Amino acid sequence: MHGRKAYQLVKEFASGEKGQLKPFNRELFGRVLEECNEHHGALQSLIRKMQEEGLDVQTARNADHYGALIHHLSLTRNKRCLMAYMYNRAEIIRVLAWKVGLLHELPEEIQEKLSDSEEEYFKDHAKTLKSYMSQMGLDVNVDMVPPKDPYIKVRVLEDVGGGIILSDKSANFARHSMHFLKRTDAEQYIARGLMEELTS
Amino acid sequence: MASGAGDWSSSPIDDYETLISTTDVELLKRAWRNEKASPEILPFQDALVKRAKEQIQLMEETVDEFEESGHDPLIVSLYQMDLDRAQFLLRSYLRVRLQKIEKFMFCIWKNDTYRDRLSEEEKSFIESCIRVIEKHLDETVLSKLPENYRDILKQSAISEEDDMVPEPQLDTFVVANCKRATRPLYLDSNRQSAVFDNRDDYFQMVPGDLCIIRYKPFREELINGNIDLV
Repeated sequence: MHGRKAYQLVKEFASGEKGQLKPFNRELFGRVLEECNEHHGALQSLIRKMQEEGLDVQTARNADHYGALIHHLSLTRNKRCLMAYMYNRAEIIRVLAWKVGLLHELPEEIQEKLSDSEEEYFKDHAKTLKSYMSQMGLDVNVDMVPPKDPYIKVRVLEDVGGGIILSDKSANFARHSMHFLKRTDAEQYIARGLMEELTS
Repeated sequence: MASGAGDWSSSPIDDYETLISTTDVELLKRAWRNEKASPEILPFQDALVKRAKEQIQLMEETVDEFEESGHDPLIVSLYQMDLDRAQFLLRSYLRVRLQKIEKFMFCIWKNDTYRDRLSEEEKSFIESCIRVIEKHLDETVLSKLPENYRDILKQSAISEEDDMVPEPQLDTFVVANCKRATRPLYLDSNRQSAVFDNRDDYFQMVPGDLCIIRYKPFREELINGNIDLV
């Protein structure tokens, strides 16, 4: 009661690694929502009591008023905690949409941590970004780091087979092989974790 | 894009300085640096972005021509590098703006000054963002709360103003470089606000000054171009 569960929810979010999502805590979330409705019920019954006693609800200052005030404040606090939980998760989802969502699906491990509505949000936000990029005629999510060389050395981390399209040649990318690729081509694979850049 | 029109003629040194400082690359770099350092969103440089896009396209065509005609590969890769770096600048500028919009979407949308600073495409981007997140928050939280507590911007129906909107922190410190003399500003004791005043103890920056200041009193100066953020 009185915001303790909401506090747990927020604490759980804050205790995760920054930028990483934990699985959506459906149970705790549902319990906080129930509490909100309980507070509201109690608030309304206190107000009704005051009205039945003939007191002016806006100005009377008796024990019932303060009881109602506490319920109201707990309710708003719960609301803030819930919104904070959802909003901060949404922020992380937006970062994911920038990194991955425009071309590919989310990997399994991340998908199971999201609630249904969050998956929808992810798709919608990716769509929004895509429509901006097509309006501007530019890809805003490549070139995340300032380019130093037009060609970079990469090492392939996962087996990608022959499905890679390069602008000037085609190559077979077996695992652990090293290649000298154009930076713009390699970037999308680096972002997905399929290749890594060798900087030495 | 090294100089405005690819003109490599030798100019005297002081003309070179002025030439360099007004090329599109420099303007874009300046807009990019200011946007990165500023906590709030700055006016969109519409004409500059248009010109930059055209010039990038021109460069791309030139590079393609050179590659096909078997031009010296070293020169081609130099042009390519130049092109890449210009593209990076433009993309990063747009990216920084988009991320600021995402972070403060409600605040920007409500405030007319901020809204006027967006480009057309950014306006439709922010509308769409807001729609999407309202739908998401509505479904998960707001529709399940009691009446009077369902608003996305207010805590409850009795809040007097929109109290759930994140706003940019205008008090952060920034490093500013002065290009033209600023107006004399009288700063209060926390240096957090300023009044244009003719009192004696005013603060004024002259060209060449490099200062660490709080952002808020100097917003006007930044928008007028008197100072640049570093």
